[in-house]
Amino acid sequence: MNKMWNYIKDWFIEMGSPPLFFKWSSKILPWLMLVTFVVFILGLAWGLFYSPTDYKQGDVYRIIYIHVPSAILGQSIFMFMAVCGFITMVWRVKISGMLLKSAAPIGASFTLLALLTGSIWGKPTWGTWWVWDARLTSTLILFFIYAAIIGLHSSIDNKSRADRAISILSIVGIAIIPIIKKSVDWWQTLHQPSTFTLTSAPSMTPDMYQPLLVCVLGFYLVFALLLTMNLRAEVVAREKNRSWVSKQLLNVDK
Amino acid sequence: MKSNIYNWFFLILRRDLLLAFRRSSTYITPLIFFLIVISFFPIALSPDQDFLRSLAPGVIWIAALLSSLLAIETIFSEDFRDGTLDEFFISNDPSFVLVFAKVLCHWFVTGFPILLASIISALILYLPLSSLLPMICSLILGTFFMSLLGAIGAALSLGKSAILSAIIVLPFSIPTLLMGTAAVASAIDYQDFSGFLLIMGAMLAIGIPGLCLLTVEAILLNYE
Repeated sequence: MNKMWNYIKDWFIEMGSPPLFFKWSSKILPWLMLVTFVVFILGLAWGLFYSPTDYKQGDVYRIIYIHVPSAILGQSIFMFMAVCGFITMVWRVKISGMLLKSAAPIGASFTLLALLTGSIWGKPTWGTWWVWDARLTSTLILFFIYAAIIGLHSSIDNKSRADRAISILSIVGIAIIPIIKKSVDWWQTLHQPSTFTLTSAPSMTPDMYQPLLVCVLGFYLVFALLLTMNLRAEVVAREKNRSWVSKQLLNVDK
Repeated sequence: MKSNIYNWFFLILRRDLLLAFRRSSTYITPLIFFLIVISFFPIALSPDQDFLRSLAPGVIWIAALLSSLLAIETIFSEDFRDGTLDEFFISNDPSFVLVFAKVLCHWFVTGFPILLASIISALILYLPLSSLLPMICSLILGTFFMSLLGAIGAALSLGKSAILSAIIVLPFSIPTLLMGTAAVASAIDYQDFSGFLLIMGAMLAIGIPGLCLLTVEAILLNYE
């Protein structure tokens, strides 16, 4: 068992070494792009054009196919970042720090997208751009935490130290986000009865639910694609003085 | 010989408290800041009694959060600049204890004056006397948790601008803010407030070991 674990760990560390990562990621990148493109377009087209119209909200509800996946992504990217942060802290794997750094802006963008689409959806259905609903509030706070992580990283010049700093912050974040969620829920029930829930559509039919699942999968793939591209850029930027970079990118021997 | 850790702990605590009390601005500034922020709310919004009473828990808590973060970057920065922190980390004594002593000292210097000032502000914001006890209890737990959070923010942004550590720490302070205001608000409505205090105590119980250890890691980042 222990041997197996060591073997897996070594394999991961080897695959994560910058030159090797760059090599295998260039191979899978076109395929990843293709799959992402197909699933993303399929999900969105299915959701936006072929799923039934909601009897209460009309076609407005279709924004759910962007809103819900981006909200899910915003949260799961943070979990991903916390795992990367843990690996960075414990095993000092260089690439996981870079992963953490490259995932942060993507997560922040998805969270912002969820907030924006939510408020665009809120205007026609609730009659207002913003409500201090529990879920809206905790999403907003999640966005602030992302912003804090990005700000902290950019303020430290030594990049590997900056990676470790944000890995500490992401670990604190993952511990405190459930508490934030719970306390915001409490606050809601204490101060005002919840007038609105985000799922205004009464129990979704499978016709609406299936495209949503495809959309979620498509958004995950978009995240994987963006992350790979971000990470490749990050790896090259950090290792630009190493000989493998010029060999790989420019085909010249230094 | 008695346990070495306690000697070490009290040594640092005494040193830091002495340093703080020799310079009166460290404990006066948060106090004055707190009172100024409190007094701005009636001026800016309305001096109406019922209105202020309903606003008071939130106002007191926001002021407490802001003023406990006011001097947070000094918790490590001075020792870092003059090299004392290096000496602490070189020594064989546990750095966890060092961080905890520094957090405790910071709480004595900022949280305690805020506690006294909050009693005054409860009077000028017309809080009923019955809500004084939950307010003080929640402030004790909450400002201590803020000092812990602030320590990690200060350690991460060591040598950087103070506003950065505030941006790092403030999003994480939401549970404290909500629980604290909820405890005071439910005491005003004659409801049971012990649940909120218990949650805050639980957060503190997890926070003391967890955040102190992470703070040690964060400080060590500066020595690579």
